[in-house]
Amino acid sequence: MKHLPKHLRPRWRYLAVGIESWADTEIGRRAFQRALWYSAGNLLGDAGSADADLTLLSFAHADGTGEAVVRVRHGHVDDARAAIACVSEVDGEPVGILVRGISGTVRACEERYMGRATASSTQRDVAFEGAERPAVVRGDACDLRGESGRVGATMFDTE
Amino acid sequence: MYEAVHAHPDGEATVARHAATAARHGYDGIVVRTRDALAAAGNGGGSTAADGDGSPICDPEALREEYGIDVVDAVEIDADDPTSASGAVGNYRSDRTVVCVVGGDDALNRFAVEQARVDVLVRPMASGGDFNHVLAKAARDNGVRVEFDFGPALRATGGKRVRALADLRKLREIVDHYDAPYVVSANARSHLGLRAPRELVAVGEAIGFDAEAVREGLRAWGDLVERNRERRSEGFIEPGVRRGRYEEDG
Repeated sequence: MKHLPKHLRPRWRYLAVGIESWADTEIGRRAFQRALWYSAGNLLGDAGSADADLTLLSFAHADGTGEAVVRVRHGHVDDARAAIACVSEVDGEPVGILVRGISGTVRACEERYMGRATASSTQRDVAFEGAERPAVVRGDACDLRGESGRVGATMFDTE
Repeated sequence: MYEAVHAHPDGEATVARHAATAARHGYDGIVVRTRDALAAAGNGGGSTAADGDGSPICDPEALREEYGIDVVDAVEIDADDPTSASGAVGNYRSDRTVVCVVGGDDALNRFAVEQARVDVLVRPMASGGDFNHVLAKAARDNGVRVEFDFGPALRATGGKRVRALADLRKLREIVDHYDAPYVVSANARSHLGLRAPRELVAVGEAIGFDAEAVREGLRAWGDLVERNRERRSEGFIEPGVRRGRYEEDG
């Protein structure tokens, strides 16, 4: 179809979203998109959800950390932010979400907020609660299994 | 702005991980609700980085230095009845900066708001608890802050969330009307449950709160901490009275 004249095209804002999860979980693009829309549908309703749009434009996740660019209709950024904050689980796996920033173009969004070098993760044993436990270490963060399930610690805890 | 968190062993992340995440999210400090997770301030700290047995760091001073945000020792008193809660409040008031009482029961809610020694009544509406004008007036008169728990709004789904939101609205209307002091928290049990202040404000707006009210609720933790630290400092005798040198007035 012929594209719209400029004044009729929707105006977008692009949200850079940082994603954190346990190191041993995989989060897929489709699952994250589903969680986003599901959360928006629940919080804002169908109408609000349609207004906010919340289409995932890019997504990357590995080793418990990831980032995404989410497209939002201009003027609905606060609603979108609320919906994004309410994503607490993807496929039953808990996730932490942080909106790093907002831009008017995808390019600015990527240049300014994305692709931050994240420390690569390594698997090794660390001392925690009086025992050596296998852990995934990424920078200062350290995900391990304690006596009562998963524990998020830092290298500061284990030294 | 401050956030109050549940740390390991009560939650799934250590105080250090919470502090690192909260610093990234732009908070000025965290209040650690779990008593076992943090040594009381001024006791010189329990284990430090040097002890080598790998137990989580629980010295607030060391954490503050490492992550650059304030770490506050608090306690959450989860008692079955007002009598045992009263004993616990008496025990912990003198060595913890912030004392919270877990509500969720009519008798406990009533007890908490009528005790000036209690700082915060947390989760007053959880598990069938209720709040009314009598409690709101008592909370205002005794300076007990009532917590708006955003946890269910962020993490629950379906009917549970609907009920939690309805409770939040009821609580908001009562607290608003009587100008009772309040705090806002996401009640994070792990670093993944933390949300940045702007996100909490956005969620608050979406569920009917005033943006400024949510910000105020997050700042209130900080004000509370500052007030209590001042009260526990050595020169403090009572509000307005300090032990110190004579002031030279002209």
